[in-house]
This record gives sequence, structure tokens and C-alpha cells, in this order.
Amino acid sequence: MTDIQETDIVSRRVNWHSKSQKDRLESRYRKEKIFKALAVSSLSIAIVALLVVLVSILTTGISGFKETRIELDIYLDRDIVGEVPNLDAAGLKDHYATININSLLIKSLQKKFPEVSSRRDVFSLLKLFSVGAQSDIRDTLIADPDLVGKTHTISLLSSSIVDMFIKGKILRDVEENNRKISDQQIAWLDQFELEGKISQNFNWTFFTNGDSREPELAGVRSATVGSLLTLFVTFIISFPIGVGTAIYLEEFAPKNRYTDLIEININNLAAVPSIIFGLLGLAIFIGFVGLPRSAPLVGGLTLALMTLPTIIITARAAIKAVPPSIKEAAIGLGASHMQMVFHHVLPLSMPGILTGSIIGMAQALGETAPLLMIGMVAFIVDTPGGIMEASTALPVQVYLWADSPERGFLEKTSAAIMVLLLFLIVMNGLAIWMRQKFEKKW
Amino acid sequence: MNMVNLTDELEAKADTSAPKIRAQKVNVHYSSNHALKDINLDIYPNEVTALIGPSGCGKSTFLRCLNRMNDTIDICKVEGRITLDGQNINDKKIDVVELRARVGMVFQKPNPFPKSIYDNVAYGPRIHGIAQNKQELDDIVWSSLKKAGLWNEVHDRLDASGTSLSGGQQQRLCIARTIAIEPEVILMDEPCSALDPIATAIIEELIEDLKNRYAIVIVTHSMQQAARISQKTAFFHLGKLLEHGDTTTIFTNPVHEKTKDYITGRYG
Repeated sequence: MTDIQETDIVSRRVNWHSKSQKDRLESRYRKEKIFKALAVSSLSIAIVALLVVLVSILTTGISGFKETRIELDIYLDRDIVGEVPNLDAAGLKDHYATININSLLIKSLQKKFPEVSSRRDVFSLLKLFSVGAQSDIRDTLIADPDLVGKTHTISLLSSSIVDMFIKGKILRDVEENNRKISDQQIAWLDQFELEGKISQNFNWTFFTNGDSREPELAGVRSATVGSLLTLFVTFIISFPIGVGTAIYLEEFAPKNRYTDLIEININNLAAVPSIIFGLLGLAIFIGFVGLPRSAPLVGGLTLALMTLPTIIITARAAIKAVPPSIKEAAIGLGASHMQMVFHHVLPLSMPGILTGSIIGMAQALGETAPLLMIGMVAFIVDTPGGIMEASTALPVQVYLWADSPERGFLEKTSAAIMVLLLFLIVMNGLAIWMRQKFEKKW
Repeated sequence: MNMVNLTDELEAKADTSAPKIRAQKVNVHYSSNHALKDINLDIYPNEVTALIGPSGCGKSTFLRCLNRMNDTIDICKVEGRITLDGQNINDKKIDVVELRARVGMVFQKPNPFPKSIYDNVAYGPRIHGIAQNKQELDDIVWSSLKKAGLWNEVHDRLDASGTSLSGGQQQRLCIARTIAIEPEVILMDEPCSALDPIATAIIEELIEDLKNRYAIVIVTHSMQQAARISQKTAFFHLGKLLEHGDTTTIFTNPVHEKTKDYITGRYG
């Protein structure tokens, strides 16, 4: 008080209408305008980039959800099929696995195109159809055994090259040597087209099949199941440990140098490149513990290591955000520290914890690098039945297909990315929904 | 409250002559900051003891010593002897949870749990296992709300969130929550500072009423409030207890010059 009285108090009046004040005002407005323009432009660039990505994926990928089929009259020759044994569907399936379906197809094709005689031409005619066409014929035989000895029109899956041609991905006016489909094959296709035998359907195979060497038969089922199993393991491991760690560090741990050190290291872990976690998983879970390679269990454990820091950091932030007044109220009523945490702090921070965990899970879902290290990059056709079986994951499947030379895998890659993105959108939507449902106001 | 009334009560209850809480040579340090210096103060049952003094003088710190709320602050060190019914509350044998159930607390800012009104009041009885069944719990909740003067306003919406009430109602809910576990002492840390004059008047009436059953210690910045509701007043200044005694004496005939300046509004 006295200090102020001793110094001279000079009363200054500001002239708000002076030139310098006017300039100040203008320069302030100018700065605000520049800042706003910068923000808007960076936001627009981001939106444009996102749109470009989405549009390019959509335009390449959307056709991946369609398959091309060619109708053909197949004479189900009794000489080749043989007598129908009295078996149930499963037994029939085994039975028909041994017969030469291919010769049925060849005979029917030769009947349709009598002028084709050389082995080479027959082979290239056969090339119009997928290997999967054989299972189409087989399925017909299993569904209706009475058809044996008769001629039946079956819709057969076309090969990937035909599929690409029909979808316009392989162009007719390219020189013959530079395209995978010959002029002769195009002529045959034109004939089919003229007769209205070619159709495009929704590609259920993409969702019911595992990976395949043939693009038209490749699907995301085994990768999706593998991803879900992996995520399940990740969640089971990382959620309880992560939340427990966060509660301990935030509410119970003494504040000293050691906890500071732990905190710094957790924050650093969040920034460690994910492939390092893959190496760690390889060394510990496969090398040391001896768990099977390519298994969702190992993938889940590895991804759990990677997700833990994210969950711990977000959970700690959520716990810290609980108002101290609520904690004091509980303590003041005679709640023990433990009761305070589990009755009040945890329920109130749950929306934040769940949001953080789901974001962490989404991150784990999209992670490829650590899975490469532990062998989940293998070519897996069968759908894994458990967490110990060999499996792959969606992002790894994308990576594998993107690496394949066949033209048909291009659209499969984009289609698989769309499936992956759909999962991510659903998970993030879930996070938002949970946040709004459980959030309490105080 | 006048002296005649007070003596009536003193005569009515024989054990009121013994202090409920006795603080002897209490010193509190926050790291290097010596926040309370040699405080000696007795709190009597069925009385309101007001703690007054300028901001930062240590009255809230002292209040929080009485139910060991300062335990939650790592850097806070409490020395000296505080007894509740002759028992040292800082004794290792004393369970802090039981202590806080016996010495309840109402905070400056109303802090109901973001739960229903019913659950707010029922929380204490639940964690202490006071009610044997649902019927008993209902009785405790209803009578606590009645004692806190909130029953008429909320009886038809006990499922509504405690945070949906007005500020004054929230504070009375907090009082109901505190008295639901039947404490022996209630500590109030500026309970009316966030409230308007009407809500304040209601709370003051409530305190007047509650004092018949509990010992009440209240921290307040309002001289008028201290004069209106308390029987004993303690004046804190810079971590020291400068003066304490009957409210009427402190307000009419303060010994210390600083006390006089403070209560007349010339200082602080």
C-alpha cells in the first residue's frame, strides 16, 4: 500500500481517436483476419485431401462388391458324375469332391462352341471361368441330385480377367499383346453378352471367403474374424490393466521421483514406433513364451502393449477431470479412499475412459506393422476358429492384396479398406454414443 | 441468541460443560508455510462455534483438522493434540472413516453427487451399514430431508438428480446427506458464501435448529452471520487464534484491537 503512495501517480488519459490508436485497431483487425484465413484454408486443405482419399477408394473399391457371372447350359453327364449315392448333403459334398467337374464344363463349352477344337483354344475358353465355377456346378449337384443326366443352366463365376473386362477396367481398344484377354476371348464374351448370359451380382463371396490366389474368390472373412479375435484379446488385456494403472497412478501412488519416472516413460511409450512392439512381441511371446506364430493371441498381446499407454493416458486425464469437490464430499461422509474411487471417481470418469479405450482399440484395429513381425502376414485361407489358430488381420490383408500383381486385387484392396474404414467409423460412433449416454453434468 | 437462552441450555444438559472437541497446541505446516500456530480451542456440544478472520488466516485449515480432511493433502503436516470426547483423533488406533462419520462436513460450494436426491442422502448410511433394510433406509432418507427442511420441496421427485436443484436446495441436500449418518459434530466451511440472502436465511434457520442435536463449527466471512447464529466465536489472524469466547462478548467488548477492527469492518 505504502509503495504506491510514495511513487508519483501520473494520471494519463488515452486519446481513443488518435491516429496511433486507429492504426492499432486496424492492425489488430488485420491480424485476426489473417489468422482466420489461415485456419480456414488449412481446414479446407484437410477436407479436400480427405475427400480425395475417400473418393479414390470408393471409385476403385465399389466395383469390388460386384462379381460377374456367365450362364451356361451344363450337361450333367451321368458317365462322369456316376450314380448318385444315397447320402446327406455333407456326404454328397465329399463324394463330388472326387469327380472331374472340369470335364463337365469342357464338354458343355464344346457343345456351345463346336468350332473350338484345339487344346489351346479350349484352354483359353476355359480361362473365361473362375476355378470357383467348378464349385458352382458342384453346389448345383448337391442341391438337386435329380439333375444328373439332364442339362441345366448354371450361373458360373467368371474369371477375374473377364470380370475386369466387363467392368471396363481392361479396355477393348488396347493392343492385344498388351492386355491379358485375347481378341478371341473377347469375341466369345461378346457372344455371351449378345445372348444376355452375362450378369453382375452382389459379391457375397467377398464376405464369405477367406483369402485366395484368385482375385475373384478372395474375401475378407478370415481377416475380419482374425481382426475381431485379436481385438478381443487386446481389449481383455489392455482395458483392465490400463484402467487399473491409471487409477493407481492418479489416486493411490505417492507423488515422488519414481512415479514421475514411470509417468514420463508411459508418455514416451505412446510415441514408440509400433514395429518396435512387434519385435518385442516376437521376442517375448513367440521366442520366450513359445506361443504359436500368426495366432490372434500373440497379435492381441502385442497390440495390447501398444494400446496400454493410450488407455493409461486418456484414463488418467478422465480421472483427473473429476471435480475435487465430489471427492471431498465422499471423503467427508466417511467413505474410505477406495470407496471414494470406486463409488464416485470411476463412474464419473467412465465415459472418458471408455472413449479413450475405444479410440485405442480403433488404433489397434488399423495397426499393421507389429502384426507383420509376429507372422500374421501369412497367406491364410481358413477362418480361424480360436485365438490359438493361425490368422491374419484386416489391415494386413489390405497390405497383402495391395502387394499382389493381379489387376483384380486392386479393387479388392480398396473394398477391404472400405470394410476396415466401416469398422473404424462404427467404433468411433460407439465412442461418441457412449460419451453422450454416460456423461453426467454437475 | 441471547445469554439467557444459552444458560438455560447449559443447565438443561449437564454434559454440555465438557468440551466435545478440544484442540491443544495445534500447528499446521504446508511444506515451509506455517499455516496454524499453537491453536488452543474448545468446541462445546449443542452450540454453534463461529470461526472468523480475514482470508488466508487458517480458519478453514483448522476446521479441516477436526475431521482429518487435511490427510488428503500430501504436503500438509498437523502437529498437536485434538481430542474428540477425550480421545486423540490423530491416534493410530482411530479409524479415520469412523472419525469422519462422527464429525461430518458441509463444504463451501454445494457438492451433491451427480446421483438422485435419494441416493445422495442414502450414500452415507449405505457405506456405513446404518440401515438394516430398505424400510429403515427410506426412514433415514426421509427424516434427514425433513430435518434439513428440504422434504416439502423434493418429496415428489426423489429420483431427480441432486444437481438439478437450485444452489440453496443443493446446500440443504448436502446438509441432509451429512446428518443422515447422525454425526456428533458438523463442520461447515462457509456454507452460505455461494448462496443468495433468502437461501442463506433458510440455512441459518436450519443451523439454529440443528444446534439442538449437534455441535456445529462454522467458518464464515459474514460478521452478521456469526453474530446471528453462533454462541462462541473464535477470531483467527495470520495463523494465530487471537481471541475467542462468547459471541456476545467478542462482538460487544473485544479485548484485542485487531478483533475490534475486523468486526467493525475497518480491517480485512
